[in-house]
Amino acid sequence: MSKALERIKRSIWVFHLNTGSCNACDIEILDALTPYHDAERFGVKLVATPRHADVLLLTGPITLESLPKVINAIEATPRPRIIIALGSCGSGGGIWHDTYSTIGGVNGLLKILKERGVEVDAVYYVPGCPIRPEALLYAVALIKGVVSKKREAKMYKAE
Amino acid sequence: MSFIKRALKPVEVIIVAAKVGRVTIKYPFEEPLISPDFRGKIEIDPTKCIGCGACVNACPPNALEMIESEDKKTLRYFVGRCIFCWRCIDVCPVGAIKGTREFELATNDVLDLFDFIIHSKTRCNTCGKMTSETTRMQKFILERAPIAEVYSSKCPECRRNSLIRAVAMRKVGLYE
Repeated sequence: MSKALERIKRSIWVFHLNTGSCNACDIEILDALTPYHDAERFGVKLVATPRHADVLLLTGPITLESLPKVINAIEATPRPRIIIALGSCGSGGGIWHDTYSTIGGVNGLLKILKERGVEVDAVYYVPGCPIRPEALLYAVALIKGVVSKKREAKMYKAE
Repeated sequence: MSFIKRALKPVEVIIVAAKVGRVTIKYPFEEPLISPDFRGKIEIDPTKCIGCGACVNACPPNALEMIESEDKKTLRYFVGRCIFCWRCIDVCPVGAIKGTREFELATNDVLDLFDFIIHSKTRCNTCGKMTSETTRMQKFILERAPIAEVYSSKCPECRRNSLIRAVAMRKVGLYE
């Protein structure tokens, strides 16, 4: 499987999966595909079905209404499958992290997927509200190994 | 005539494209184009933070959370949920939080998105129980209002008892 993950880095095809987002992140995805930012430099291409995709671009806090469809889409994606959780909603639930109708981003989804026995090979988190198109390009470059990871957890102790 | 015009249209487009030149940015290999008032990740100065929790109350998505334990008070910042509204910067009483223009936060591990600041709680000088205040909070209160010295080092219960005793003494004299 690690060999397959290496192979995926050549040219990733993405499927855009909206799970109840406010459309701000979706517009930024379109922005990243325009000639100005041009995500196709990295071989990124939007495809029409998850069966052709390597990567799922997941936007939104995953509403209960969209949850069965999301699981179907993830099951339909061939291995190795990668999820890019976009925006505050996708990566942590955003302002809807504790409401009754959402499951709080990709972390809630991963728990449900584990119960159902669906495996996801890698999850990339892209915080931002909405994300900048550059942030998406940075995540794509991170998957391909072009740039290195900047973010690290910090632990301070005040006396 | 119209046929020739139509045939020459691609040539016109090529001329326009040659005038404009290349518009695509070389982003991961050059500096990104961000405006000076762009709002990115916040940064909490651990040497200034007093652990009062004003930012926790102001945070709309609860990206800043206060986790209380027996003798520790931990301020947790989860970037993955932050909406970069910078309201915490407005309410911080000591100016410990400052905004940056950082947005390259993508990781493949959720644990990278957390920041922790651990504060220690103070002990009540009368009954010896842990209070809900941190040591730095107590120092901050004493700097602002030195008159609070009697009460600031007590837990809420002892504070109430001593207040009641003081009032009772004023009304009916010492009664033990």
